[in-house]
Amino acid sequence: MLSPEMNAPEARHERCRITVRGRDGEEQSFEIGRNELLLKAAIEQGIDYPHNCRVGVCGACKTRLLSGRVSPMVDLALSPLSNAQIEDGFVLACQAKVRSDLLVEAQLGRQALLPVCTVSSRVTRWRRLPGEVIDLRLKLDTPLRYHAGQYATLAESGSFTRRSFSFYDPPGDQPAQEVGFLIKRLPGGRFSEWLFERDRSGIKIWLEGPFGVMGVDDPDRDALCVAGGTGIAPILSIIGERLKRSARARFTLVFGVRTQQDLFAAEYLQALQAQAGERLRVIDILSHEPAQSGWRGARGLVTDALDDRLGLDFSAQAAFICGNYGMVEAVEKKLLALGVAPERIHADKFLPSGTP
Amino acid sequence: MTDYFKYLLSPLILAAHGYGLYLGGVYAWTGLALLLGVLLFDAFLPRDYTMRDQRYVRIYDVICAVTVLCSFANIFFYAYLVGHGHFSGTSQLGAFLSMMFVGFVIGAPPVHELFHREEFVLRWLGRIGQCLIFDPWREITHVVTHHMRVATPDDPDYARRGDTVYGHILRTFPGQWKESYHLEKMMWTKRGRRWYDLRNAWVYKAATLLSFTALLCALGGAYGALLAIASLLLGPRMMLEVFNYVNHYGLVSATPGRFEKRHTWNHITPLTRILALEITNHAGHHEDSYKPFYKLEPDRNGPVQPQFLLVVLLALVPPLFFMMIKPLLKHWDMHYASPQEREIARRENERAGWLELNRPDPQRDLPAGIWSAA
Repeated sequence: MLSPEMNAPEARHERCRITVRGRDGEEQSFEIGRNELLLKAAIEQGIDYPHNCRVGVCGACKTRLLSGRVSPMVDLALSPLSNAQIEDGFVLACQAKVRSDLLVEAQLGRQALLPVCTVSSRVTRWRRLPGEVIDLRLKLDTPLRYHAGQYATLAESGSFTRRSFSFYDPPGDQPAQEVGFLIKRLPGGRFSEWLFERDRSGIKIWLEGPFGVMGVDDPDRDALCVAGGTGIAPILSIIGERLKRSARARFTLVFGVRTQQDLFAAEYLQALQAQAGERLRVIDILSHEPAQSGWRGARGLVTDALDDRLGLDFSAQAAFICGNYGMVEAVEKKLLALGVAPERIHADKFLPSGTP
Repeated sequence: MTDYFKYLLSPLILAAHGYGLYLGGVYAWTGLALLLGVLLFDAFLPRDYTMRDQRYVRIYDVICAVTVLCSFANIFFYAYLVGHGHFSGTSQLGAFLSMMFVGFVIGAPPVHELFHREEFVLRWLGRIGQCLIFDPWREITHVVTHHMRVATPDDPDYARRGDTVYGHILRTFPGQWKESYHLEKMMWTKRGRRWYDLRNAWVYKAATLLSFTALLCALGGAYGALLAIASLLLGPRMMLEVFNYVNHYGLVSATPGRFEKRHTWNHITPLTRILALEITNHAGHHEDSYKPFYKLEPDRNGPVQPQFLLVVLLALVPPLFFMMIKPLLKHWDMHYASPQEREIARRENERAGWLELNRPDPQRDLPAGIWSAA
């Protein structure tokens, strides 16, 4: 016998209660409409849910479903989640349509979300740096607020192609009128190849952002920062911002590139060093430097520099990591093994993109 | 209450078509004639923005599932009749064309509807139903790629300004095959399996298609199966790409992954909505691809193309299609595109050689509000 839909279970609860349990055991609840996407609805309510790309590519909104039911928009095997994670109940909040009350495990951020804006801009600086990196600075037609560690998507005026890059300036007290990005040439990459083709000064660029939650931590807490290549950009922003907010926090930055010729960030680090003095220690580590070169610094992968020789109390550190997906995964694993608290690890994994 | 009966139109036409096949001779044209007649009549009806009755929604699901089952019966019956020499001369042609068109208009929409569903049985039927387009891989590139990258060149289903339907067909199939392989590979790699692991999704799909083909052969022999498969490939499979061609033609998205209602065309004449199970009521479908067809809300201000049959026929003659679509695209650029999308559209117009779309012409440009429901 068919019954009217108003009596169907789905119609009885048009609102669903979401309880988010943090890794520290704290719980926070909010309500969203049934059938809404978990991440989208949470963000629209101003909840600082961990996220990055919002389209199922980056995996930053990884959420463990403890009870309740969601429907993933796409097969989770097509997401960055590993098979073990899928079997362990992880879903992506950006792809999860909420079907019932939920109890989930995720680490909510602790800063107010900023509105995402689309603003036009002009290139004011296009400067080649060592290691096939461009320092791209944009003068915004409308000032924009962002948090340290966040990113924006850039698209040339008239182009479908858009790619995401992190702001490297620390945010100021006022909305930014000008923003900067460090962009690595990626062979075959549509955006970076276009950018490298010739000086793009004066070109109009559309910027959408800010996106991402790189993580906020107690400003006075010492920080261990690990960056691979242009992953240094959000780290520069985070250290710069934390230096302004704390008079005593100390920073250890492990910066990995392939060879000496790829040490593109020297002047930015020198500027930061001038500001921080002894509170900042930078360790450059080279993964592919020829053995016969005169390099006297560290060699290997960034994970090779992470051990007791750093002389850090790992359990007391906040960790900020940015780089390619594999590097960040490896660093996270290493830091957990060294005793860094999981809730203090803040990571931004970037993916070479053929994806939107 | 009449809303529920509206969707019986498809199974009724299907039944009449089946009876026409059984009678043979001139009656073999019944399916084609009925559909063309209904859609031609539809061209003279005003747009329909009404919502469907939501009280007994299971009725819709039952009709949808029955239509898929009847479509299976239809193709098996056709293979059987062909294999037993039931048709000859023009009746053979009539039966084949009817199968093509009926397969596209009546067979494909419920398959699409069901493979988007969450309920296990309905989704399973939708997945199996992809045999009716002879391509069990259509779902994955549709649900993952098309829905995520709509109105950008990263979507193989998308036709850019200046593309003809013939060029689109040549591009879209290799694009979809490449994408299917990429996605299937990702699934077996993620699960730590080899490509030939029997648990892989592609194995199931291939086995389904083989079983379907074997059944066609058993019923109609090689000749019956051959014509049945040809009718599916030239009918629903190929014409789905014509549908994709027109449905997002030339629209541009500056926010891939985040669909906005302006990123699709709609066809919302009453009989097209019914026969196509609301898939032409397209904005709602893209906004929430899990939403059943009877819950889709027509976009009262969204971009609208002329009546569906007319647009499909025009697409087959590119100069006429361009003549129809250019003023609409110009209108979209001026009134619907975001500033960023307007700049992309401008470049797309240059790429297509449609420079007149970049020059406002107050005398000839379509007036504002042409797509708004009264």
